[in-house]
Amino acid sequence: METFVIQFIHGLVYGLLLFLVASGLTLVFGMMSVLNIAHVSFYMLGAYLSYTMLKVVSNFWLALIVCPILVALLGILMERLILRRVHAAGHVQEFVITFGILFALNEMIKWIWGSENLSVPIPSTLSGSLLIMGNIYPAYRLFILFFSLLILAFLAFILMRTRLGITVRAMVSDRDMASALGTNTPFVFMLVMGIGSWLAGVAGVIAAPFLGLSSSMGLDFLTDCFIVTVTGGLGSLWGAVVASFLIGQLSSFGILFMPRFAIVFGFLLMAVVLVIKPSGLFGEKA
Amino acid sequence: MKNRSFYLWVGIALGALGILFPHVLPKFQLRMVTEIVVVALLVMTWKMMLNEAGLFSFGHAVYFGLGAYASVLGWLHIKGLSLMSGILLGGLVAGLVGFILSAFLVRMSGTYYALLTLAFNQLIWAIVWKWRNVTGGDDGLGKFPKPDLLGISMKDPTNFYYLSVVLVGVCLFFCWYFTKTPLGNVTKSIKSNEERTRFIGLNVGASKIIFLTMLAFFAGISGALYAQFQEFIGASSIDLVMSTHIIFMAFIGGIGHFWGPLLGSGIYVYLSEYLSHYTDRWELIFGVVVVILVLLAPQGILGITKKRK
Repeated sequence: METFVIQFIHGLVYGLLLFLVASGLTLVFGMMSVLNIAHVSFYMLGAYLSYTMLKVVSNFWLALIVCPILVALLGILMERLILRRVHAAGHVQEFVITFGILFALNEMIKWIWGSENLSVPIPSTLSGSLLIMGNIYPAYRLFILFFSLLILAFLAFILMRTRLGITVRAMVSDRDMASALGTNTPFVFMLVMGIGSWLAGVAGVIAAPFLGLSSSMGLDFLTDCFIVTVTGGLGSLWGAVVASFLIGQLSSFGILFMPRFAIVFGFLLMAVVLVIKPSGLFGEKA
Repeated sequence: MKNRSFYLWVGIALGALGILFPHVLPKFQLRMVTEIVVVALLVMTWKMMLNEAGLFSFGHAVYFGLGAYASVLGWLHIKGLSLMSGILLGGLVAGLVGFILSAFLVRMSGTYYALLTLAFNQLIWAIVWKWRNVTGGDDGLGKFPKPDLLGISMKDPTNFYYLSVVLVGVCLFFCWYFTKTPLGNVTKSIKSNEERTRFIGLNVGASKIIFLTMLAFFAGISGALYAQFQEFIGASSIDLVMSTHIIFMAFIGGIGHFWGPLLGSGIYVYLSEYLSHYTDRWELIFGVVVVILVLLAPQGILGITKKRK
């Protein structure tokens, strides 16, 4: 019984990390109907930046504030300088260009930080552990859990209760119409791109002490992240919530019961969902 | 039509060059030209998927890698398997897998199609990578026999070059011919409007399945040729990075042109060969080149020439 609870929390933690990255991806997709593959390298960049930041100032909280903002700035720059210009050329070209950026960013990270695995120390205030049902559980993972839930609540508040949220939702459902009604769509899009990259950066920073840094962390995450966005339905935030929860639990319990085939479960879930409902759990258009 | 005679002359010129190459170029260059020819077939199948049916495949390395692995396993384990039957085996296995996968893929279009192919790519890569007993996992497979063809030794690079050119030429001809058949027109109409195509009474699903299976078959043949060319096959021939490279090559050459894949794979092979002499970070340069190229010339290098005409 205890193992189940622990494993459940494990899955929850991983699922929430997935959600942080996937939510930005799915929002940007909803607006532009182009999947920004380079999004996962923002996650990776956040993690590596926090590594350097911790080396220099050795303050986790400062890194948690500064690094995601740097990543967000990069995301905004990418939108302004690159994505906006290719938009006219068509979806396929946009898709390919984000691919090129992913490639270039990953190589750049390898170049700057080297390709060997690095580890980031857990901040001292969170390095202890707690007792859950008689089991010792590292406090840092619980921190990830609560921090991600906080961000999720924050995101839900912005989307559902503020003017910006209404604009964003309007743009997701029909970009041209929102533009015709007088919304400054390029600006809102840039903002969403910034928030999305910021989320990926946050996920990178808090994942770094937990998962460690390696040159393949972006691509490892990419697959799970895509499974989440596709299973949940592209462009749907609630779909991303549900799907990341499911994928988190699947990978967590999959490792417990069938460690050799754990990698397959996510694909199976996705394949089953897509065969039953090609647009994903909460997606509207296929 | 002026355009057609232009293409004909380019074809004749390339054909003459192709025959002369082994006698003019040094061995090292000949190897690269062979690689370009073999990879061009692969890129062509990807480009056709996008151009003829509007499907953006994100996991094209699956067919390439499976073709390579199937043929290599054939040469390793089936005694006396000839060169051509081995290559054919690679194509057939890739085609069969393409047929099975396309049963799922026909329901998708656009981004969902791309993502599902990506998922299949990751899944099959994971299987190949983990199934060490058969595929060798990380170490890959080498030291497989290279049978003679009709008594001609294929160990001679010149002979192997001619074989590749002829085989790829035949495959490319079939690809081209397909676009002229009624079925080729159906895939084109699916690209422009799938719903209307269905309304006319054409069988959209079956057409897509046949089309995808055919392309998977040709990609598999390219993979089998590549395995014989490298005399080695590893898990990197089936991973996502390989799929990415295919997409990059197609885009560098220009997706709207028949000769685009050849040009793209040519630039790619030469660029990677020469850049890797100077720097370990050639992939970074490559990524940047692709970004700049798509920014400046969204239709690829051949797209620029078309605009000027």
